[in-house]
Amino acid sequence: MDVSPTAEMAAETAGNMPPAGSGRRAPLAARRDRATRRSVLIVDRLADYVITIGGMMVIVAVLAIMVFLAAVVVPLFTGAEILDRASYRIDAPRERPLFAEVDEYRTIAVLVGADGRLSAFHYGTGAPIAAPAFDFGGQTATAIGRPIKGIDVAFGFGDGTIRLGRLRLVSRVLAAGEMPAGLGRLDERDFSDGRAVYSLVPGGQVRKVEVEAELGQAQQIAEAGVPILAVDYRVGGTAERPVRAFVSLDQSGVKRLSLAESRQNLLTRKVTTTVSTTELKGLPPDLDLVGMLISERADRVYVAERSGRLFRFDTRDFTQPVLAEIADLMPGEAKLTALRFLIGEQSIVAGGTDGSVRVFFPVHKEGAGTTDGLALVEAHTLEPHGASVAGMSVSERGRTLVTLDNMGEVWLRHVTSGQTLLRLKGADASARWALVGLAPREDGILMVDSRGAATAWRVSAPHPETTFGTLFGKVWYEGYPEPSYTWQSSSGTDSFEPKFSLVPLIFGTVKATLYALLFAIPVALLGAIYTSEFVHPAVRGVIKPTMEMMASLPSVVLGFIAALILAPVVETWIAAVLLAFAVLPLLLLGSAAAWQFVPGRIARRFDGVPRLAVVCGVVALGFYLSYALGGTFERLFFAGDFMAWANGDAGGDVPFMTLLLLPLSTAIALAASGRVFGDAIGRRRRRLSERGMAAFDLARWLAVFALALALSLVLALLLDSVGVAVRGTVVGTYVQRNTFVVGFAMGFAVIPIIYTIAEDALNAVPEHLRSASLACGATPWQTALWVILPTGFSGIFAAIMIGMGRAVGETMIVVMAAGNTPLLDWNIFNGLRALSANIAVELPEAVKDGTLYRVLFLAALTLFVMTFAINTFAEIVRLRFRRRAAQL
Amino acid sequence: MEARAREVGTPLSAPPAVRRTSDLAARGEPFLWLFGGALGLGIFMIVGFLLLVAWNGISTFWPKPIEVVALKGGGLVAGEPTRAESFRPGPERLAGLDAAARAAIERNGGHARRTLYRIGNYDLYNEDFRWVADFEVAGASRPADMVFVERLEWGPFVGRIKEVDLDGARSAGAAPDLGRLSSAHAAARARWQRLREIERGAIGEVNHDLNAERLRLRRAALDHGRDGPRFRQVEAEVAARTAALERAYAGLTAEAEAIRKEDGKFRLTLAEIGGKEKTVPLSEVVRLYPANDLSLWGKLRVYVSRWAEFLSDEPREANTEGGVLPAIFGTAAMTLLMVLVVAPFGVLAALYLREYAKQGKLVSVVRISVNNLAGVPSIVYGVFGLGFFAYIVGATIDQLVFPERLPNPTFGTGGLLWSSLTLALLTVPVVVVATEEALAAVPRSMREGSLACGASKWQTIRYIVLPRAMPGIMTGLILAMARGAGEVAPLMLVGVVKLAPELPVDGFFPYIHLERSFMHLGFHIYDVGFQSRNSEAGKPMVFVTTLLLIGLIAAMNATAIYLRNRLKRKYAVGHF
Repeated sequence: MDVSPTAEMAAETAGNMPPAGSGRRAPLAARRDRATRRSVLIVDRLADYVITIGGMMVIVAVLAIMVFLAAVVVPLFTGAEILDRASYRIDAPRERPLFAEVDEYRTIAVLVGADGRLSAFHYGTGAPIAAPAFDFGGQTATAIGRPIKGIDVAFGFGDGTIRLGRLRLVSRVLAAGEMPAGLGRLDERDFSDGRAVYSLVPGGQVRKVEVEAELGQAQQIAEAGVPILAVDYRVGGTAERPVRAFVSLDQSGVKRLSLAESRQNLLTRKVTTTVSTTELKGLPPDLDLVGMLISERADRVYVAERSGRLFRFDTRDFTQPVLAEIADLMPGEAKLTALRFLIGEQSIVAGGTDGSVRVFFPVHKEGAGTTDGLALVEAHTLEPHGASVAGMSVSERGRTLVTLDNMGEVWLRHVTSGQTLLRLKGADASARWALVGLAPREDGILMVDSRGAATAWRVSAPHPETTFGTLFGKVWYEGYPEPSYTWQSSSGTDSFEPKFSLVPLIFGTVKATLYALLFAIPVALLGAIYTSEFVHPAVRGVIKPTMEMMASLPSVVLGFIAALILAPVVETWIAAVLLAFAVLPLLLLGSAAAWQFVPGRIARRFDGVPRLAVVCGVVALGFYLSYALGGTFERLFFAGDFMAWANGDAGGDVPFMTLLLLPLSTAIALAASGRVFGDAIGRRRRRLSERGMAAFDLARWLAVFALALALSLVLALLLDSVGVAVRGTVVGTYVQRNTFVVGFAMGFAVIPIIYTIAEDALNAVPEHLRSASLACGATPWQTALWVILPTGFSGIFAAIMIGMGRAVGETMIVVMAAGNTPLLDWNIFNGLRALSANIAVELPEAVKDGTLYRVLFLAALTLFVMTFAINTFAEIVRLRFRRRAAQL
Repeated sequence: MEARAREVGTPLSAPPAVRRTSDLAARGEPFLWLFGGALGLGIFMIVGFLLLVAWNGISTFWPKPIEVVALKGGGLVAGEPTRAESFRPGPERLAGLDAAARAAIERNGGHARRTLYRIGNYDLYNEDFRWVADFEVAGASRPADMVFVERLEWGPFVGRIKEVDLDGARSAGAAPDLGRLSSAHAAARARWQRLREIERGAIGEVNHDLNAERLRLRRAALDHGRDGPRFRQVEAEVAARTAALERAYAGLTAEAEAIRKEDGKFRLTLAEIGGKEKTVPLSEVVRLYPANDLSLWGKLRVYVSRWAEFLSDEPREANTEGGVLPAIFGTAAMTLLMVLVVAPFGVLAALYLREYAKQGKLVSVVRISVNNLAGVPSIVYGVFGLGFFAYIVGATIDQLVFPERLPNPTFGTGGLLWSSLTLALLTVPVVVVATEEALAAVPRSMREGSLACGASKWQTIRYIVLPRAMPGIMTGLILAMARGAGEVAPLMLVGVVKLAPELPVDGFFPYIHLERSFMHLGFHIYDVGFQSRNSEAGKPMVFVTTLLLIGLIAAMNATAIYLRNRLKRKYAVGHF
């Protein structure tokens, strides 16, 4: 294998460079032969190109991952864009219409006039479409109310009656052949016969859209002749037995809440409707009304007056409505001009004469003093218009809305993110009235003014809810007591407000990494130092591959063991497991002290493998001792029941805090004893025999520990008296799949990496430094501590960083063993949700190019950047270390 | 190291001020012990972990006895004792105990022992496992007539044989003739196998052809329109073929029905410990053995047959029983495909970086970047694979090549090809780094020698550099394979599924179906351990699968280490 290729090559090159023997014989032939064969040249050139281009392409492809991820993420931050804009004139009613409605596919727009007339026109071109009318019997509606979603509408009239109706923009899909002939063409998509619009849709089908309207009988709500000023209307209950709730306010200032329940008699098929009405009390007599809203389940009624005062009634008990709260929507002199619910009918949007647009919702508050314990808060203050707000239209799907001001500016905004997506210039300021409507899919805005000028925009705002602020900052979500970092990507209801804060996920990643490193770094580094400096190379040759084997364990296996085997065991033996962290080091130190009594000559003979075997035995003994003493430990430190203790139900903080502080206080005690008594100890030591010295050392260690124990007890008592608590911070309520288990399992993944790289770094410290130090009389320990470690420090640092990179990206262990709860909580006994786990869990279900999909790509990009940065930093440090080590 | 220690302590004929033994503080014994302890802990972790997996994985298939436990409160529990542990009974549990038992628990620090019995009979009990605490037990026995029956459905049955009905020859009451039963069982299994062949193989083929005809019609409609004569012609052909296929289908169904009827004559009536009876067709019994009356040889046969089933059969019962052949196949196919992609590209990139690119700042930046990509989390590659390969490249292929199958995606969703490509991307840095190191380890003098002899650059690389770097490249490739085989997170996004009975390679054109989703050993572990109805029931399976996966990866790693050591010995040249 080693020889043959060279031989082969020799054969091939024989052509242009003949062997010495034959060269002399034929000089002429040699000259001809000296020219390299064309095929060789071609192959060589080809290889040049293939390797250069191929290699560069591979590298570019790999690096392109980041670019691709970024490209998917970018649309999250681009806001909205106008796709096109159509301006046309329509036959506008003289009086301001009650509202404007656009269908799902932006085909037909309808203006509903106060006289009941509907003026419908084609959305794209303004071509008029015939539409039925509401027959008000010659009356003019004085009030209108309707839910955000659905087709129901209620009209109030001057004679104190109310009529309930329905306005429907019906769309049906027809087969290609069913399109009637002789239609007029409106645009490239739509055709019309003047009554309905037919649109060509993909798949060779046709969609027909037309307007339908129906109106019910008049119902006398107020006294005859007292006009209804405002009405709002909701439908609930089952389809068979619809319950309509509506609120009306008449000119005499009496506000009524009415429930109408319709029942169909199964035999006679006759529908009977019973109306029950109660009066809402507590309103001022001279109410200057702006709007009135009734919530979806009719359990809250809001009445707002021009000054900005909002009266909230608690109507959960229908027979006894209570005025729960009076809030001020408009601070200062500004007057309220517009009031709307957002989807879900919890949040209220208020527009004022000062151009302000504010969003309020009720939250549960301690000491709210209201009957239902809720208090209205101003959660979002959107960017104010330059002029008084004249109208608004809210989305049926999300938290997007359009607002219109007196100067004719139309702004598209989103409430959760607070951003203004588009600023459009609509009507002339001179128009008497202007009306704005948002298409149901948030993809179109229609504006009409009193002079018949209409503008229809086609817009695209695919991800209005995400901004840098909502992804990384605190956001006040509907119903939450305060702004928070929350991740909750989906829920069962339509009106759900998606919460895309990456902060809890990043926190989860950091928490898992931190606790994993807290466990892994000491084990890996100490192990690496021991392997590199204190065992025979032959032993090292066995131990190192063993540890490296740990690195190749698939993380799914680690996750499985951690979650299904380890987690229940740890839960049962938690006290013993915690005790092991104290017992192992103490036992090792104790055994070391005992070992010092062994005469030096014998001890040195057993320096290598035998001592390591004894150490391993001591570790095993430590495990056993922890197991045996676990119960006692639990009684002493955790009042006999760890779970109850962690919950905060039993026991005190001091014992555990003492234990936590022990490493710190030991270090302090050790340093202090060295500094204060170091010389004295040294002098005394020199006079002792070997055995005496061992005894002295044992005594010294015992003294140090006594000191440390006392110190940490004092510290713990002090901290406890100041009010610093362990529970509720780093420890707390225990759940089975928790960070502790994750940290341990992740140790399996991280320890071998840190161990191998650190060991390599220590090994790379030039041998002559070691020899010089030993030759000067330093012990191996002194050499390791004062020569090897400082030299190899940057390598060790790089090892830690690379281990950290692995912990940050670890997926399966966190998916399986971490419980996946997106919390901001340092409690080691609680779960977490890491970026990586979140991607693995949610991406398979995310709709392509949806907001969640892109946010998860952002999570991936974040992970990429985090690990790439950490690794690059580590790599640079490592290269520098190598260069320095080579110079030494 | 020992030598060094001795040097330090070597007695010197020095003035008395210099002591023979150095200061204890200089020896740093306590710290050495701490360091050693850390190393010991690491070794304990890895050894303990491997032992845990090995022991559980190896012992899972060994037939365990069935214990019949009489409870103090009345009632019997029969099952395989699976494991025992110590637990802390709750206060309400303690309150229901007699004084002696309570005192015993009290003495034990509030702990009591309990045993988990695998009681089987999920169709009767609605649970597979039951904890029995020691203080509940009145007595335990191992009756010889208890049998352990593995069924195709509902998991195992633990109980007694009540009646055997072999085509009318009943053996009620009397002890069943196990020899006769087992030959009848073998025949029934052979029938079942035949039935499966018909249903899967022949009927599957007919279904495949029917579907192909349907797609052909759609394709014709897309290509020529619905009104042209070409379409009519295809339509007529398709109708004729479809009719023929449906006749074939009817024939096959009749044959299957006949076998099934024959099968119904061989039945086994079982009774659980409480007396409830259950009749199963003999063909649906996978394995039956008298658990408490089994010789060592018998146990060994059950053990081996279980392993054989595990390695060569499809999973049953939501993957918690049966075999993992599709998963083994999927893992192997995916890994091989990945290596096919990663090997040329990885080597190409490394050759470029080491041999062709001008060694400057830019190349070292690229090198660091490539190196770091090895540390980028695998899930990120999965996200890329899903977003780029499946949703962009795959969707484009679908539109161009398979428009008749839309809107059902063919390549536009996760599959074997995309998984392999994703993992190839993930492992390219590993291969690049390994290959680069191997190339760098080839001494410069050899290259110069070759060039000086007049060889061209490519000839030098081809005949001098690459052969010498080969073991190193192989090491890198094997390490990449080991890493790829163990990755699960990216695969969850780009094509691995819980159950895919259709292997990516089969007898239908084009024989290798790269678009199919597949099963994977690693995902199998995740799925059975976390997604099945009872993680306890899945645990044995998970352990065996884990053992298999770790074994596979360990074998690959061992090969890599062996190669690396050989390489090092051969070309002992300085490395960085």
